Amino acid sequence: MIVKIEPEANRRTQKSKRFIWMKHSDSFMKGLLMVPTLMSASFVIFIVGFISRKGIAPFLPSVYGSERVNAFSFLSGTTWFVPPNVYGILFIVINTLYIVALSTLISVPLSVASALFVTRILPKKLQGVFKSIIELLAAIPSVIYGVFGLGIIAKSVVRLAELFHAQTAGGISTLTTIIVLAIMIYPTITMMSVAAISAVDPALEHHSLALGATKVQTMTKVTLASAKPGIFTGIILGVGRALGEATAVSMVAGNAGSGPSLMLFSTTRTLTSTMLLGLKETSGMDYDIRFSVGLVLIGVIFVSNFILAHFKKKVGRFS
Amino acid sequence: MNTFDVRELVLTYDGKAALQHVSMNIIPKQVTALIGPSGCGKSSLLRCLNRMNDLIDGCNVEGEILFHGENIYAKNYNVYELRTKVGMVFQKPSPFPMSIFDNVAYGPRCQGINDKKTLENIVKKALVDAALYDEVKERLKESAMALSGGQQQRLSIARTIAMQPEVILMDEPTSALDPIATGKIEELIFDLKKHYTIVIVTHNMQQAARISDYTAFFLMGNLVEFNTTEQIFRQPTQAKTEEYITGRFG
Amino acid sequence: MMSLVGVMVLALIMGFIINRGVGLLTWDLLIGDYHPTTYNLSLPTTESLGGFARPNDLDESAFFSQMWGLGLMDDVDFEGKAVVRVIYVDAQSPLQMMRDKNNLERVVGLFPGLALEKVIFSDLTIGLSRTKAENFIILFDTHEGINDLLAVSSGNGIRGAIITTGLLIGFALMIALPIGIFSAVYLHEFAPKNNAFIHTMRKMIDTLSGVPSIVYGLMGAAVFIPFTSRISKAEGGNLFSGALTLAVMVLPIIISATIDALRAVPDDYRKASLALGANHTQTTFRIVIKSAVPGIMSAVLLSVGRMIGESAALIYAVGTAIKDHIILTEKSASLAVFIWSVMAGEVPNFELACSVAIIIMMVVLFINVLIKLVARRFALLP
Repeated sequence: MIVKIEPEANRRTQKSKRFIWMKHSDSFMKGLLMVPTLMSASFVIFIVGFISRKGIAPFLPSVYGSERVNAFSFLSGTTWFVPPNVYGILFIVINTLYIVALSTLISVPLSVASALFVTRILPKKLQGVFKSIIELLAAIPSVIYGVFGLGIIAKSVVRLAELFHAQTAGGISTLTTIIVLAIMIYPTITMMSVAAISAVDPALEHHSLALGATKVQTMTKVTLASAKPGIFTGIILGVGRALGEATAVSMVAGNAGSGPSLMLFSTTRTLTSTMLLGLKETSGMDYDIRFSVGLVLIGVIFVSNFILAHFKKKVGRFS
Repeated sequence: MNTFDVRELVLTYDGKAALQHVSMNIIPKQVTALIGPSGCGKSSLLRCLNRMNDLIDGCNVEGEILFHGENIYAKNYNVYELRTKVGMVFQKPSPFPMSIFDNVAYGPRCQGINDKKTLENIVKKALVDAALYDEVKERLKESAMALSGGQQQRLSIARTIAMQPEVILMDEPTSALDPIATGKIEELIFDLKKHYTIVIVTHNMQQAARISDYTAFFLMGNLVEFNTTEQIFRQPTQAKTEEYITGRFG
Repeated sequence: MMSLVGVMVLALIMGFIINRGVGLLTWDLLIGDYHPTTYNLSLPTTESLGGFARPNDLDESAFFSQMWGLGLMDDVDFEGKAVVRVIYVDAQSPLQMMRDKNNLERVVGLFPGLALEKVIFSDLTIGLSRTKAENFIILFDTHEGINDLLAVSSGNGIRGAIITTGLLIGFALMIALPIGIFSAVYLHEFAPKNNAFIHTMRKMIDTLSGVPSIVYGLMGAAVFIPFTSRISKAEGGNLFSGALTLAVMVLPIIISATIDALRAVPDDYRKASLALGANHTQTTFRIVIKSAVPGIMSAVLLSVGRMIGESAALIYAVGTAIKDHIILTEKSASLAVFIWSVMAGEVPNFELACSVAIIIMMVVLFINVLIKLVARRFALLP
């Protein structure tokens, strides 16, 4: 009898061992998968940490000794480079904000009008086509926008300048940069606006129409009002893209040594173009100071995001 | 000995009670039907029996459920072992997006059975027992998604009995099916009763009367009445039960 | 009317790059070297001169030497400088037997496409690149020996850039896919819900997607270049530092697209699997991930689309030098950086930039269509 029971008991312990293993393998897998997740999440800290470390170096006597850059004149200067070690970035920040603000001002009405037209007037079938076109526009690499900006927009700006009897450096100017950026953020804002307006309950519009409002009144007062937070998210994304856009901007902005350049036909210099243009050496002050510019860029993006998010809360109060 | 002994079971979702002090037992090799209006807690009880409620956030269980005398909510109880012994068939047939064979072989494979011959035997036997084999034997390698709704549900049953469980829990297994497919499933349940203990949740009173040996009637989280099906449908002791089975509410 | 802006801009951009770039778009562009090669050749012995017939399909504006079996034409190089281009060499021509001056054992026949820089004939008469094709033919026809011939291949090919782009994308995916997919699986399938720490991690990953590409470039330069220099013989930017940078850049794309794909897997599958006694790990890897494969495919496509056009990050993390022979531990320009490089010179090369732009746009367009197709098939699943 005993001999007969033993294999059965053995089989049972083996089986229950397997169930315990199944339980443990779950905990093990949970721990194992946490590793890549922690890695993915920590990259943000990596980015800010390492760029800070390198970006602060130009101001440290321990690294550059008497050659070091004065941090105060760096932040308040209006001339980029006076040899050997004077770098000023304030005018570049002003240029950047000026250009981004104007391009956003151009892009937002176009985007919102497009979104309204597409969602409320265009037949369903064409909507898909339009969305695909916008997606494609968003997917065009920035270097191609740069080539296009230099080949078409800069040329048109030269003609425009001639009308005003103004000089341009071959079309490389503040205005060209503004137009290129406006084109580049148009798909971003349009996509978000389309999504926001599509999400507006049609019943809301029917109520407005039933109260005797015209179609245009309904669109502007009801539809847009309820889609405002979504549109604003689009604007935040667009501004973020415009601030960080580097390649296309560097190709059309020029290399102005001092500023700010508020004139539309003069050459300019943005934070990103400063980082990209004339990059030759991969060590020394001229290289390291670009990380300081990068650090300022991160700061500008962070602050503008913060302010816009605050505004978004305000406009979204009622919806 | 009873298969399950449910004792003073209290189930809450985010603090809201779904079952209140329910006590009942499940008798081996019998069909027990759980009936009652929507939201009465019958499905919640079913899900407690193989601890599928663990997956729902904010779900809390008090009291105990003994499976062969062992509390399945005890701290060290192995839930995977429980689920191999207590299988479940859901309301909506949900074949995995893989072949019919792989669907049935999935459970055994998860238990580490990889021998081809053994798997083939298990799959064949499960499909035969689920009365599906003759319909699909030519296309075991084809996608299970192509089967009809009734076939998919019998596949779900085959998948469950491939694990050779003791108990099969069925959560309204025919509510998504047409009358002919429903009839086939009911016949199947009748056959399965010989080897398995079955607990079935159903909305359909006639179904409960046709196939079950015991019936439990739930109302708003309370077990109102539990008795043999014959008693419940002939001579209910509670007025509420009578009202429900005669269709005056529900 | 206003909404036509998008359509117009797209048409304008496509029209522009096609108009300027399509002329250069040939097979030679795709497989050719970028840097011109100079050939220094000599002809020690001359046999079988004379008696060559002008081929019928030779261009009418070309000049032909019956003595040497050689066709020449006036042309311009990519900088617009006038050159004399070899366009035909007869199979029997003695010019096919020319030797490399630096290694006389090596036979390097003159071949079509080369531009003649300088030819010193046997009596020391010299023909230079500024000599017109017509005069060159006269010089050839009046001389029976060549001491010295200097010719330059046309260059301007993008083979190196294509290989660089492929390698960068391949390596980056090899790094980013496992990390991204497993992160997504953890966050969606394993992580506890309503947990502050998990929530913070997700926020941090989301923040990553808003980081401009030039900042990724700075990170590549500050983190990955030193890192790869330490573990390999690289000094400065290299393909590994570039791939690592791109990998971090596409990580948020892969994670969010994979989470979307996992979210689309019906919960019924998970429940059914668990009810069969499978554990969480088995359910996730045998059922859930399998059903999410189409979604993960579109994650891959999205990130390839992002990487193929990436320039700013790579300018910092790899460098802008255009290479014909790729060494993994050295700098090299991807297609997008190639455009940047040829545009950054004194005279921007619009034609070359636009033809590369056409190639990139074709890939981007193809990827966009593919994503749509995958999404459509995916939607058909239950």
